[in-house]
Amino acid sequence: MNEVTKIDGIGSSVRRTEDKKFLTGKGRYTDDINRPGQVQAYFLRSDVAHAEIKSIDTKAAQSAPGVVGVFTGADIAVDKVGGPICGWVVPCRDGSSTKEPPHPLLAQGKVRFVGDAVAVVVAETMEQAKSAAELIDVDYNELTPVVDFVNADKGAQIHEEVPNNCYFDWELGDEGATNKAIERAAKVVKLSVRNNRLVPNAMEPRSALAEYDSLDESYTLHTTSQNPHLTRLVLAAFMFAIPESKLRVIAPDVGGGFGSKIYVYIEEAVCVWASKKIGRPVKWTADRTQAFLTDCHGRDHVNDVQLALDENNKIIGLRVDTVCNLGAYLSAFSVVVPTILHGTLLSGQYDIPAIYTNVKGMATNTVNVDAYRGAGRPEATYLLERTMETAAKEVGMDPAEFRRINFIPKDAFPYQTQVALQYDIGDYEPHLDKAMEMIDYSNFEKRRAEAAKRGMYRGIGMSSYIEACGLAPSAVVGALGGRVGQWESASVRVNPTGTISVFTGSHSHGQGHATTFAQIVADKLGIPMENVEVIHGDTDKTPFGMGSYGSRSLASGGSAISKAVDKIINKSKKIAAHLLEASEDDIDFKDGKFVVGGTDKEKAFGEIALAAYVPHNYPLETLEPGLEENAFYDPTNFVFPSGTHIAEVEIDPATGVVEVVDWAACDDFGNLVNPMIVEGQVHGGIAQGIGQALLEDAHYDENGQLLTASYMDYCMPRADDLPSFKVGYTNTPCTHNDLGVKGCGEAGAIASPPALINAVIDALSPLGVTDMSMPATPQKVWKAIQESQSVAAE
Amino acid sequence: MEIKDSYELPLPKERVWAALNDEQFLKKSIPWCEKLERRSETELAAEVKLKIGPMSTRFTGNITLSDIDPPNGYTITGSGKGGIAGAASGSARVKLIEDKDTLSTTLSYEVSAQVKGKIAQLGSRLIQSTAKKLSKNFFGSFVKQLEDMDKS
Amino acid sequence: MYSTKYIKPNSTSEALEAIKSMGEGKFLAGGMTLIPTLKQRLASPDGLVDISGCDLDSISDEVDAIKIGAMTKHASVGESGLVKKAIPALAKLADGIGDRQVRNRGTLGGSVANNDPSACYPSAVLALKAIVHTNTRSIEADEFFTGMFETLLEENEIIEAISFSKPAKANYVKFPNPASRYAMVGVFVAQFNDGVRVAVTGAGEGGVFRHAEMEAALSSNYNADALSALEISSEGLISDLHASPEYRANLIKEMTKRAVV
Repeated sequence: MNEVTKIDGIGSSVRRTEDKKFLTGKGRYTDDINRPGQVQAYFLRSDVAHAEIKSIDTKAAQSAPGVVGVFTGADIAVDKVGGPICGWVVPCRDGSSTKEPPHPLLAQGKVRFVGDAVAVVVAETMEQAKSAAELIDVDYNELTPVVDFVNADKGAQIHEEVPNNCYFDWELGDEGATNKAIERAAKVVKLSVRNNRLVPNAMEPRSALAEYDSLDESYTLHTTSQNPHLTRLVLAAFMFAIPESKLRVIAPDVGGGFGSKIYVYIEEAVCVWASKKIGRPVKWTADRTQAFLTDCHGRDHVNDVQLALDENNKIIGLRVDTVCNLGAYLSAFSVVVPTILHGTLLSGQYDIPAIYTNVKGMATNTVNVDAYRGAGRPEATYLLERTMETAAKEVGMDPAEFRRINFIPKDAFPYQTQVALQYDIGDYEPHLDKAMEMIDYSNFEKRRAEAAKRGMYRGIGMSSYIEACGLAPSAVVGALGGRVGQWESASVRVNPTGTISVFTGSHSHGQGHATTFAQIVADKLGIPMENVEVIHGDTDKTPFGMGSYGSRSLASGGSAISKAVDKIINKSKKIAAHLLEASEDDIDFKDGKFVVGGTDKEKAFGEIALAAYVPHNYPLETLEPGLEENAFYDPTNFVFPSGTHIAEVEIDPATGVVEVVDWAACDDFGNLVNPMIVEGQVHGGIAQGIGQALLEDAHYDENGQLLTASYMDYCMPRADDLPSFKVGYTNTPCTHNDLGVKGCGEAGAIASPPALINAVIDALSPLGVTDMSMPATPQKVWKAIQESQSVAAE
Repeated sequence: MEIKDSYELPLPKERVWAALNDEQFLKKSIPWCEKLERRSETELAAEVKLKIGPMSTRFTGNITLSDIDPPNGYTITGSGKGGIAGAASGSARVKLIEDKDTLSTTLSYEVSAQVKGKIAQLGSRLIQSTAKKLSKNFFGSFVKQLEDMDKS
Repeated sequence: MYSTKYIKPNSTSEALEAIKSMGEGKFLAGGMTLIPTLKQRLASPDGLVDISGCDLDSISDEVDAIKIGAMTKHASVGESGLVKKAIPALAKLADGIGDRQVRNRGTLGGSVANNDPSACYPSAVLALKAIVHTNTRSIEADEFFTGMFETLLEENEIIEAISFSKPAKANYVKFPNPASRYAMVGVFVAQFNDGVRVAVTGAGEGGVFRHAEMEAALSSNYNADALSALEISSEGLISDLHASPEYRANLIKEMTKRAVV
């Protein structure tokens, strides 16, 4: 029959099959979709940060040209539609639970941040909706805004339900043992760091298109979501109290999320509600300003760190006291990010016998803060790796050696940390060694001296990070306060001609699942990748799944696909045994063929598929016809990627400009399915990390006005801010999933900020500079140089 | 953000103080003021059409006088809503100090300004310069009017 | 944006007539500032008069000067052999404005008429002793810029062309705002037989300005070292999130040093 077909299987850098449509502008995003009779929604938003609403007069807007409806919080309240819910809560030190104030779809009596939705205007066109919104008169009684989250407990109370503006006060670890370690330490290294606030800036702004079918009383929502099934669950069960079957959620092509599209936002819910109220499809699409104002922001922590060392410079204890800003309302995963996803990472790659952390989550009059690429893990890695570098310098050790003597030894796995996690496997020295070799660490001082001759300050900095991703198992997630399962689903349908349709609960919004997942199936079935189609993003087509976030798609979603394919192979063997008149035990499956062991009798995979759907010669008495299998996979543990990144910078003292001149990243992601896509993920992650470390900063003024709400002032990384990255890998395959894979999507963003800031401080160390906050902007670096020189002059 | 400046006027303090409370004077001093009406001793309604580069927005709002300490000074606060552009307010603490020997008066002011909404979100680079410019325009033309009157 | 009238005449005289027919009309050049402003609803003119059809985009050599039509796009100035040969610094400036898309739409006249305090072109106009030719008069650069976003242009006056004097030597060095890439400080240095002119953009609260002390220092010694002893005052410099007046003062000196080669 066929010639031997080249299988683009696991480990092959296949070009992304989805890119043709994206690169030719043929992607189909929510805003590209239009329905007959569609109207446009525009949200009138508060331009004050904290105020009571005395009155809202919508009369003039109601009768403006093209207006179909104008609604306020009062209309939502009449219909008793619930607001977005918090998906994860944690216990507080005093025994109480996280305070969960209501988050109304449209403001009820009060506005709590600039951008809070006060009313929605629905009109024939967006311009008409905007014009009508200008006619709405809102009378505010302004209250003192709370912007400084570190002192938010002393500010005006934002929610009745949240005393002292503290949503939670959580702890993890053994405080007594940790404090004792600090007391008896030969040296305690202290550091305070701030993790700057970031705006996610997905390329595609959020959008929603809701349609109500009055005949079967059901809704269809197209939306920019990373997890359409969760969106459906939350909207149906918690907000509208309708059966899930009456709501179809479709997340078509989605242009980036980085976490910001995990949650159900009020706009989606209002569109769903208004589509029934008005009886016409309702569309809303954010412009860039609304994206800045209303997408959940990321990070925004301050951490006080104490690292205790014994006389041999071995770590004996770590205490971290964190205050974080969660914004005006509790977003879906805002609580888990700075607690479970942050506190549990504090052991890093190190053997630390005592760890304690306390985290206070504060309410402020700023937009909600939630997951952003890395979500909690970049914050933990930043404080830890900044402290490791500082400690090394304080004790006079090479930072690499200081890390090395504190690494968890490779024979200690599985390793139980003092902060709840058990690392299944890892080996940290090889990636440290390899990264040092890639960047030519041993000759760095020569490069520093050469740069000095040119009047430049050159520095090197590293970061050895660990990441816990692919959250699991569900039982542990539940015990830690999670209100969701953490499994993933797959349905693999073999079509009669042997082509495959894979339905996944994961969601691709840039990750390249259509390619990676097809490679897994092609590899396992020995068929060409072109024969595999991956379908995602539609609750009517795909099995219930958890979507994509937290670097979980390959480890959880890919593993589920692998398990479903195993079931296909098992059933196919039974069919092959029947057709080949052999015992099932004698059937081997190899290179897409079912062979009777020791004979030349064989059936190709396609023949089996056809037999399953045209079962004329088929064991119908013992086997169902058809060839389609489901798998729901609940991993037994997180996966733990790790690695070392080393940054090299040059600083121009005349301007303070930091140039990233070299970068070595050596990561252990376990087995790689598509190394090219993995490398792309690493590049993107590092770019975002460099953005955080050097450029990006969401800045609210003291009145709660976002002053960086456009690209005039919010600084995104551009290609010319980045060096050519050197990327390498080590591999300790994950022990508990079939593919031996770990996550790679967030690693770059986790690893890179501390490496870069460590390099900046190293460069300036000849001047006596020992600290630098993010972002290290030219002005800030220049000022630090000036101050060090004036200190030197005194 | 704080902005300070001062002017020396060859006039007695009482004269400057009177002008500071004369709405005709104020109206001519407020840049691009289209309407100014006294509502009470301490409150005036104002309409200003502000042009910054290509932006052109009409602000409607109030001017209020507080911390009144005749004839030594007051705080003059203007706040207005600019519709879709957002809102802006500026407050100037004005002090008059007379030099008895020369019978001249030093008018000093300290301004703090706040903007809300779109102008804060999109125009942050221009806030400080604009506030400074508007203060200068206001006090500059106020002083010039007084000087011109004095000359004539 | 609010709906508005749009007219595209074929000559400046027609354009003037068109704008007079409107209560408050706006000339539309490249639209790189005006269109975003309109989209944000921060202006609502009664109409737009697009002057891109008025034949204002030629570049010509006038012996002592290069005359560039107001509607000449940044990309055309950057690519012009004439400009590159006579005033390479001007081509370099044009080639560094915004991004490729902006350079293919944005125009010399639009930028100069708008006089954004962070725009690049005003510094070249001022340093190169340019003459701004309008439909009614010719204005010397030193008179033309009157403040932030302000120029000597009257309502309904159109810039038709700008003549840039050919210098013996010139250079433009910009320190871009990391976010917007507008000039946070841009310095145009031009050496003429009768002295050196230094124009600074991006830094002054009142927009572009000439720096007298640096001009004096460089006129007597055209060398970066001549600037070393100068203290650059931060008085009157812009303060924003990205740069304090002190930092801008430092950049003015540093960029000028780099421009003098």
